[in-house]
Amino acid sequence: MSTILQEIEAEIAGAKMATAKQNVGTVREIGDGVARVEGLTDAMLNEMLDFGHGITGLALNLEETEVGAIILGDYTEIEEGDEVRTTGKLLQVPVGKGLLGRVVDALGEPLDDKGPVKSELAYPVEKIAPGIIRRKQVSQPVQTGIMAIDAMIPIGRGQRELIIGDRSTGKTTLGIDTIINQARLNHAAEAAGNKDYRPLYCIYVAVGQKRSNVARIINVFEEHGAMAYTTIISASASDSATNQYLAPFAGAAMGEWFMDNGMDALIIYDDLSKHAVAYRQVSLVLKRPSGREAYPGDVFYLHSRLLERSARVSEKYGNGSLTALPIIETQAGDVAAYIPTNVISITDGQIFLETDLFYQGIRPAISVGISVSRVGSTAQVKAMKQVAGRIKLDLAQFRELAAFAQFGSDLDAKTQAQIERGKRIVEVFKQPQYNPVPLEVQVAVLWTVQNGFIDDVPVDRVKDFQTKLTDFLTSRKNELMARILKEGALSDTLTADLKAAVTEFKETYK
Amino acid sequence: MKIAKQARRDAKGLFRDCIRDGLLDENRVREVVRRVLEAKPRGYIAILSHFHRLVKLDVERRTARVESATPLESRLQTKVQADLTKLYGRGLEISFKENAALLGGLRIKVGSDVYDGSIQAKLAALRESF
Repeated sequence: MSTILQEIEAEIAGAKMATAKQNVGTVREIGDGVARVEGLTDAMLNEMLDFGHGITGLALNLEETEVGAIILGDYTEIEEGDEVRTTGKLLQVPVGKGLLGRVVDALGEPLDDKGPVKSELAYPVEKIAPGIIRRKQVSQPVQTGIMAIDAMIPIGRGQRELIIGDRSTGKTTLGIDTIINQARLNHAAEAAGNKDYRPLYCIYVAVGQKRSNVARIINVFEEHGAMAYTTIISASASDSATNQYLAPFAGAAMGEWFMDNGMDALIIYDDLSKHAVAYRQVSLVLKRPSGREAYPGDVFYLHSRLLERSARVSEKYGNGSLTALPIIETQAGDVAAYIPTNVISITDGQIFLETDLFYQGIRPAISVGISVSRVGSTAQVKAMKQVAGRIKLDLAQFRELAAFAQFGSDLDAKTQAQIERGKRIVEVFKQPQYNPVPLEVQVAVLWTVQNGFIDDVPVDRVKDFQTKLTDFLTSRKNELMARILKEGALSDTLTADLKAAVTEFKETYK
Repeated sequence: MKIAKQARRDAKGLFRDCIRDGLLDENRVREVVRRVLEAKPRGYIAILSHFHRLVKLDVERRTARVESATPLESRLQTKVQADLTKLYGRGLEISFKENAALLGGLRIKVGSDVYDGSIQAKLAALRESF
């Protein structure tokens, strides 16, 4: 018996001494954040490569005699002839609640001064999107706090809604407002001890942004107490194209953790135009064949596989969701350009922002005619559906009539009334930035508009009327507001009470 | 030097012709180089450069470099040789070299596979783990 024990011990000792096989290659060419490595016969696609000096690369091109890799980090230390090793690991980022309140780079390394990220789990950056069986229809709302969106272009949890527009038309602001509103709702639910409320965690991915911009956004979040529910991933304009290309995927991995664990998350990709440009740079330096506008052939697949990772998962698989708000910047309002059309076709609707409206003072500058939400209406709260059902149509008709009415002064009474109503709706939807409106207030205000209480208020005083009405309702009639929020639909008694309240306010309004 | 696609294809074809029973035939390689230089087809310099690269990679794939801190006993050399041939098959060119920087142990490199059992590598791994 003792001999067999000795044999086993000898075997174990022998196994410990055995040296593991490594696969190595040598750097043949290095530059622009891309290395060509000879050898590495066992490298896998998207595998992390160890370049020494603590620098990691990612194998993107597997060719006959060499491997094309992108370098994560500072590539200036790498020299021709250096040894490169395979690691057998795919690129991973830390995930979990430890990332909330943090600012990290594309690899999940902290950029703030709050010490190392507390996370025990890591997710691969590239992950296959949930399959058909795991998915469920979008049915829960995302309250953005922006009246025009919540009323006319509702967004549901698990939806992908594109925000598109020219430069400085308020695209980022829509995203920031949405995050601030989630923080407000999350705080309110926590304070009220509401266990049924599902908090929405937010991830903001800044791709190719100015660092000053990112710093400003962080400040805004901190001012509004939104940082506690938010992770910011920053790959700024001065970061390498590799990091800019990876940042949205890293963000998606962090969001997927919430979805897989039965929670809800919202991710904002700001913006995917710059992401496409970064990917184009990486592809061109890797000498991949270029196509239209020099983008590589798989730029569509790049965005489709990223956005497919947003989903609403069914109860059986945890009931989580990942909502995506990708942002695209257009040039001179051209939505028919290459990248915008690609992303429009992948998403479940788009919010189009127009420069003209922005400079007319209609902010948020949402162009109602071509903005749609393909799946969000099923997720809209019933009370909102009741009051906002016709408003999109009214507004679209008003835009058409307003253009038409410029040519003639003789208009019949009905058209005149439509135009007057339209002007007031436009005023009501104007909203300053970082100022989300609670759902119950939105419902009450829209009910007031729909029921003609605002028709005799002069257009230039509509905003004043709305502000004072909001103050009146939230201070004097807060019970009624709470009921609207709780019931979620306007019953006959609720409508009667609302009517009484608005009538009472109108009598005192001067 | 940029090598055109056609030149690459031609070089690959020539390289394939030099393979006999799964191994590179050195005499055929010499013959190919001589013939190409005689005939001077279009882009022959590029063809030969790429051909050279393919031959170089094949030679590397079939070469085992065994490094040790001190000269290996002949008994150990034969064992290493036998083990490597068992692992990689015939046609393996094995060279032994001394490298004092390894401090101890063996480091064997065959193509892009490396078996590093040297003390130097273990120290480096230890340093990385800190």
